[in-house]
Amino acid sequence: MMNNRYLRVFLKIFSAIISIGAFLLIWHIATNGTKLGELMPGPIELISSLIKSTYTNIGKYTIIGHILFSLSRVLIAFTVGGVIGILLGTAMGWYKTAEAIFRPFYEMIRPIPPIAWISLAILWFGLGEIMKYFVIFLAAFSIITYNAFAGAQAVDPVLIGAAKMLGAKDSRIFRSIVFPSAVPYIFAGLHTAISASWATVVAAEMVRASEGAGWLIIQGMEMNNMIQILIGIIAIGIVGLLLSIIMRGVEAKLCAWSKSGK
Amino acid sequence: MQTNIKVEVKNLTKSFGDLLVLDDISFNVTSGEFLCIVGPTGCGKTTFLNSLTKLYSITKGSILVNNEPVNLKKHNIAYIFQENSTFPWLTVEQNVSFGLDIKKVPKDKKKENIKEVLDIVGLYAFRKYYPVQLSASMVQRVSIARAFATKPELLLMDEPYGQLDIELRYKLEDELIRLWKKTNTTVLFITHNIEEAVYLGDRILVLSNKPTKVKESIDNHIPRPRSIVSPEFVKLRNRVTELIKWW
Repeated sequence: MMNNRYLRVFLKIFSAIISIGAFLLIWHIATNGTKLGELMPGPIELISSLIKSTYTNIGKYTIIGHILFSLSRVLIAFTVGGVIGILLGTAMGWYKTAEAIFRPFYEMIRPIPPIAWISLAILWFGLGEIMKYFVIFLAAFSIITYNAFAGAQAVDPVLIGAAKMLGAKDSRIFRSIVFPSAVPYIFAGLHTAISASWATVVAAEMVRASEGAGWLIIQGMEMNNMIQILIGIIAIGIVGLLLSIIMRGVEAKLCAWSKSGK
Repeated sequence: MQTNIKVEVKNLTKSFGDLLVLDDISFNVTSGEFLCIVGPTGCGKTTFLNSLTKLYSITKGSILVNNEPVNLKKHNIAYIFQENSTFPWLTVEQNVSFGLDIKKVPKDKKKENIKEVLDIVGLYAFRKYYPVQLSASMVQRVSIARAFATKPELLLMDEPYGQLDIELRYKLEDELIRLWKKTNTTVLFITHNIEEAVYLGDRILVLSNKPTKVKESIDNHIPRPRSIVSPEFVKLRNRVTELIKWW
């Protein structure tokens, strides 16, 4: 049994190495031996440039600096969007009055992709940071609100009945029953929202910025620097993956009681 | 004699639209009594309990507890549901503590209560576990412990052991009797299992098919602990079975 498990893990790692190795090898051969080399840098060149970019500036900052700029924009707007989304979503899911007042308005803005707001946001807030916060906020807010709303609506009526029988009043039921039972739904929303926010910051930075992962890509295109574009793309991929791993870790901690937290 | 009445149900009628479910039901429950209510499946037993707890509004009649209309804020009533009603995000200990927190029981007293009930249902060692980590019978025992921890004056149980296997059911029934004797709580126990009703109840209220009426009220004087194979037990079980037969 034990041996079998080790063997399975070994095979998994081994096949991953083979698959990535084969991809890099084909890429290397293709860019060195064919005309593709004019369109694409090879993997060795790209990896060494990526390492170099961690201590040499591209524009005003190193790659780490650019990532931190994008990350701070995402985290600020995502946090604000998350807090408002969770409060509004759970309130709409539980209190009929809140649903009657806010839901029509929310349903109106929900289907609009956040990127569609960029032009309007520039006219309202100018080209500075507020514009970027605004569009990222919309991306996070609309997803999280929906999930929190669905979570609050899906609360098991038996649990509500049990809490009532134990003497809980309406506000206590909202705090102690509706809210915690919506948490797994909220986390599913946070997962999707962090990816959407990360995608939106790149778009916002492409419109106008002088730093950030999106700026790296658009600047690379303007300078015809493919390596810089690819470094930007890889950085976005790595940070996106890290955010998702962190989110899963937080969920495992907070939702240890639910199957989704495992 | 009147003061000894805990629950007084008078002409209770409940309909859902045109469908009459409970039809003019009247009976009393004395203080400290263990009353089992049996009836065919779908006869409206759960509707009756939900009316009693005001989860449903009643169409006609009244339900009095201690001679006044039932009031969940005033009367200390606990309800054990057919389904799992433990809060999955709270540990066993926190689940039991929920009702005590609402009633603002002092910390020391709370700790004592929790230990006492968890000891009786044999879950003290599992107090830090979440319901998802426990078996179905353990989860149901958490609900029972949670209900008893608040020292209810009236305990309503809606087929709480319906989903458990027979061996566990016997064990939990004995546990329930122990808790009931210790706390002197008035218990209304709903079941469709005739043997369970005869094993547990001081009295058995037999309900009819829909629209539900009280068919008969049978006193059960078989001394405890009861044996399910004793002649008097079998005799009473057969009598209730005859009453409940709809085939």
